[in-house]
Amino acid sequence: MNVTCKDRERIFEDGTAAEWAALEAHTADCAACAEDVRAWKSLSVAAKELQDYSAVPELWARIERALIEEDGRKAHRAEPKSWSSFLPAISMGWQAALVGAFVLILTVSVSWILVIRDHRVPPDNSSLLKSAALKEVESTERAYERAIDKLAAEAKPQLQDPATPLMANYHERLLVLDSAIDDLRAQAGLNPSNAQLRFQLLAMYQEKQKTLEEVLEARK
Amino acid sequence: MGTMGLALPWKARIASAPRDAAAAGLPRQAGKWGTRVEGFEHVSGGPLRAAVEAAGEDAALATACQAGDLRAYERLYALHGAKMKNLARNVLGSTVDAEDAVQETFLKVQRSIASFRGQSSFVTWTYRILINTCYDARRSRLRKKEVTTDDDSEDAPRIEPRAPGAHPSLRMALERALGKLTRHQRDVFLLYEVEGFRHAEIAGMLETTEAASKNTLFQAKKNLREMLEPPRSSTAQLR
Repeated sequence: MNVTCKDRERIFEDGTAAEWAALEAHTADCAACAEDVRAWKSLSVAAKELQDYSAVPELWARIERALIEEDGRKAHRAEPKSWSSFLPAISMGWQAALVGAFVLILTVSVSWILVIRDHRVPPDNSSLLKSAALKEVESTERAYERAIDKLAAEAKPQLQDPATPLMANYHERLLVLDSAIDDLRAQAGLNPSNAQLRFQLLAMYQEKQKTLEEVLEARK
Repeated sequence: MGTMGLALPWKARIASAPRDAAAAGLPRQAGKWGTRVEGFEHVSGGPLRAAVEAAGEDAALATACQAGDLRAYERLYALHGAKMKNLARNVLGSTVDAEDAVQETFLKVQRSIASFRGQSSFVTWTYRILINTCYDARRSRLRKKEVTTDDDSEDAPRIEPRAPGAHPSLRMALERALGKLTRHQRDVFLLYEVEGFRHAEIAGMLETTEAASKNTLFQAKKNLREMLEPPRSSTAQLR
């Protein structure tokens, strides 16, 4: 087999035994290849300097201990677990103390929650059914109603005995408005949160107020 | 191309008898030209029979380890412990860390032996675990020290002085040069040239191909030669 300088690197990378022999033969006549082959082989020789195969018997003893411990842990993990195995490895006395402390904390917590809840319940349970806004509307409505009643009391003499057809007309109109107000109040009592009914009731009151003002104006 | 004999006693090394691999109890084989040629290892009846015997022992070792036989682990240590420690020492740069890595490897083998399915040889599988353990140890050591984020220094082992050998200057120069190689190149060089594994075995350990292993070794040696070779001008002057 003949090899040339061009084959050198390929043989370095993946040469067969025959190719190496041919390269060696080639180095007899080629100084460049001879240098390169020697340098290349020197690396393999130098690599031996990194070999230190001195025996370390104590290392096996260490490894053996670790393997036995690991084996023991593995066997322990493989054992079926009882409920108590989930508890940390502490004495029975401490476990009893921990359970007692847990029960005490639980009792105090439940009692505290019950006390807080009792304090938060107001005496009038019915008021819980109404919102604060609804209560405000109703109180304002009652005040407005009382004011209109005062106005109606002032106009009562003219209306009881209407002297003119106009006054008779006002009287009849007020009777219709009172009837409508009674109906709306009955419906609002059944459905206190219905805002539409509240607006209609307010409109009726305003109409009654306006009519009574006109009656009192006509008296002057 | 010049020689590498100026900075290092290359010629003396080549001329002197290399440390006998057989004396060290290793399966290392070298051709008569100093460079191993893989084709030699399987052609004749002797090595072939040895390979078959080795494969049988490997399978027996794996079976015994799977059965939890501590003596099998001891046998594995007797066969490969020193070599494993040497490889770990060359990757980690510290004897103490190397011993820890070997111990951790045995524990990992014990923990995961049930998952070994024999896709590669048991020994190859063990070395793969060792190499990964070494790199885990190095990463962990670097995290602890928070040394640097520079890739080169992260990749290179911090070499700790060891017992003086025949040529301490040669060894130190080689260790320094190895530290400048890529991780893959260093691994392949150490496994092939220092530990005497075949490319097929290295491919199994590093999860690569045989051809890639050959090419990586070639690149590693080229780089090492460039690093260790004295500047051409000084060579010329000396000539």
